[in-house]
Amino acid sequence: MKKKTSIGSLSKVSLVVAALSLTMVTACSNNANEPAGNHASGASKFDLTFDKLETDLVPEPGASLLVWESKEARPFVEAIMKEFTDVYGVEVRMQELGTMDQIGKFELDGPAGLAADVITTSQDHLGKAASAGLILPNDEFEAATRSEHEEVAVTAASYNNKLYGYPIKVMTYAMFYNKDLISKPPATMEEVIEFSQTFNDPDSNKYGFMFDVPFFYFSYPFIGSTGGYIFGKDGTDPADIGLNNEGAIKGMELFASLRDKVLPISAGDIASDIKTTLFSEGSVAMNVTGSWFIDTFRQAGINFGVAPIPAVGGQDSVTLSQVNSWYVSAYSKYPNAAKLFARFASNKSAQLLNYELTGAVPTHKEAAQNAVIQADEITSAFYKQFSSSHSAPSIPEIGSVWVPMDAAMVEIWDGKDVKEVLDRAVKQIRDAISLNAKSPKPDSTKASF
Amino acid sequence: MFLASGFAVTYFASALRQAIWGIATLGDAPSRLVEVDGKSVNIPGDHSINLMIQSLIVLFLLALYIILCIQAARDAYSTGKRRNAGLSPSTFRQTLTYLHDFKFAQLLLVLPAAGILFLTILPIVFMILLAFTNYSSPHHIPPGNLVDWTGFETFVQLFRLSSWSGTFLGVLGWTVLWAVVATATTFASGLAVALVLSQKEVRLKGIWRTLIIIPYAIPQMISLLAMKMMFNGKFGPINQYLSHFGLGELPWLTDPFWAKLTVIIVNMWVGMPLSFLLVSSVLSTIPPDLYEAAKVEGAGRWQQARIITLPFIMFAIAPIIIIQLAGNFNNFNVIYLLTNGGPSNPEYQFAGHTDLLITWLYKLTLNNNIYNIASAIGIILFIIIAAFSIWNYRQTRSFKDEEMTQ
Repeated sequence: MKKKTSIGSLSKVSLVVAALSLTMVTACSNNANEPAGNHASGASKFDLTFDKLETDLVPEPGASLLVWESKEARPFVEAIMKEFTDVYGVEVRMQELGTMDQIGKFELDGPAGLAADVITTSQDHLGKAASAGLILPNDEFEAATRSEHEEVAVTAASYNNKLYGYPIKVMTYAMFYNKDLISKPPATMEEVIEFSQTFNDPDSNKYGFMFDVPFFYFSYPFIGSTGGYIFGKDGTDPADIGLNNEGAIKGMELFASLRDKVLPISAGDIASDIKTTLFSEGSVAMNVTGSWFIDTFRQAGINFGVAPIPAVGGQDSVTLSQVNSWYVSAYSKYPNAAKLFARFASNKSAQLLNYELTGAVPTHKEAAQNAVIQADEITSAFYKQFSSSHSAPSIPEIGSVWVPMDAAMVEIWDGKDVKEVLDRAVKQIRDAISLNAKSPKPDSTKASF
Repeated sequence: MFLASGFAVTYFASALRQAIWGIATLGDAPSRLVEVDGKSVNIPGDHSINLMIQSLIVLFLLALYIILCIQAARDAYSTGKRRNAGLSPSTFRQTLTYLHDFKFAQLLLVLPAAGILFLTILPIVFMILLAFTNYSSPHHIPPGNLVDWTGFETFVQLFRLSSWSGTFLGVLGWTVLWAVVATATTFASGLAVALVLSQKEVRLKGIWRTLIIIPYAIPQMISLLAMKMMFNGKFGPINQYLSHFGLGELPWLTDPFWAKLTVIIVNMWVGMPLSFLLVSSVLSTIPPDLYEAAKVEGAGRWQQARIITLPFIMFAIAPIIIIQLAGNFNNFNVIYLLTNGGPSNPEYQFAGHTDLLITWLYKLTLNNNIYNIASAIGIILFIIIAAFSIWNYRQTRSFKDEEMTQ
């Protein structure tokens, strides 16, 4: 009898999952929680002012701008575009494009003059864009940007010690927990193991703790917390890879032990959308994912809280974090107007507005210290996790890391020897980097700076 | 005429020098940022990849122009001969009439031929040329950097570096196996279903046909994503029913062997309707009197199928099977959407156990920007498929004797 009910509920899961993927495929368009049409500063709970910036930079006559941003950011971008047009009289249009896809498209469209004037991306694509000469440095507002924003954000927006970006928001993942299933979030992985051993019931798909095992990005706490790292010297030295050092091996051994004690599923079967569905229907107590899922879980009616990921091997957990920033195209016809917009849409008022409309976690120090944001339990939990995170490296060599490391996560989870797998992954990364770096002409790299 | 050739000569005089310089050097100054009054300004420079394409266009135009000149010279020669023989040269109007009456087909083909030349052949040449450059991330991505010619170094890397050559041979082996098995299974299943449904005893043929066509009518991407859910080892309905009936769960997508089997099974489900349609349409063209004659001669059902049905089907379908085989070599959708190349293979460079050459190529270009290696693999893939297709097509009867179609 029990089996039968489990089958029933499971086919329901798969149905929901199928429905989810279908909606994803058909790209539902209406996710904005508030109409962004009204004058944002009027209805806001913050005291927002949008004035001309303190600079002698003026937009070129007849300037109009095109901005690329992701779908989630639309409510904010539409509001800030309106304010910018009111203040400067420059028309701004927005085109939806995921932040991960922008540099790839920009590489081809930018030099051809078809791309946006202002683009948004995170630092793991910055090195590629900067070294290919696609974006302009943030020179006009450099001093102000450096002093106003969190240092991690400034570092993330810089490449080769040169500031390029105008930071918008920080992004990382943390642990969502279902308050009805677990009253207090565990502080260590040992507590997670203990809880899971009483809570888990694979026959009815109940699991204590789930995370995206096959993705290195999400499994990084089991490397970074115990002393591993991607590249040395704060992510700038591709010759120093810390993914198979002692700390990484120690963390990965704990990671491998979770397969039996916490999540007895092979890595290839842990799919993100299934995980989301299970958490949304209250079958999973703790779910590691990014802030972009807050809305989904609210709509599912889950009584959830957010906490930092439990300590790994006695150390505070360290995640990978990214900072989204505006970047000004080197091929913009109106670079002054573009720089003004990038600055305008990343200052304190803009970041508070962004928090209010899309829940973005600010990079602006004063905005982050605002009483409303401090009192917001979820945002402050993400902020706490962010302050204990490694910034994703911005050097272009990071592109060679993801594939071998994703594969390594799967291998280790499914029982291969930790050291052997990590050593091989690091060797692959080195091979890829040395292949890519073969005979770089020193003059051509120098010439771009 | 003089005007046109004068224009062409002046055009090529200026463009050709630029084109030859462009394709020989691929530019010598990348775009760079220069500080003017403390502000960075972008100084556009040479974009190696754009230079290569522009040069190719000029060289193609030049080739066309040379062909035109040779034709004009030959025409002038024959006109002179006619004149020497005492005949008057044909007037412009006569030429037009001749063109319209006798060379109409060629006239009509000029436009599509130009299209093929510039939209198909030129890009192919461009992509082949990429294999002989160092166009790859992170140090050789224009416009901030230049791309250089490196000769055969890419191929040397591909075959000499053991990690690359191991991946290449492993992926190639699976690709060949996949193409053969995938084509054979879809064709065999389509043939079997079509033969069964063509029997007189089968009722409600319309309904059966509709049911079989349905998988073909659903967009492939959607059915493949749904399949991916169904075959999930822990949460997918297939394993749930298996364990419900007391059978063990199978690692459909996570074990190398089972994953390969799964993609073949799913591909059979996706591809069977097309083979079914093709075979059914051929069956309806076989003259019924052949079967009657066979019956009179005392042939059994099996003999009828072997002597009449199969040769008819094979004659019409063999070229299509070859096309399907070549298509399966490059069957991107099924692999990418179902397993994305997984489960991962730590011995391989950027590839998994079920990766085909084409999905590996995709990962190299789009995830890792290693364009030159990807281009080299593309060339090898092209040579294999082209050689195989040509050889195989020559073996088929529809190529050897065309009488049967008449």
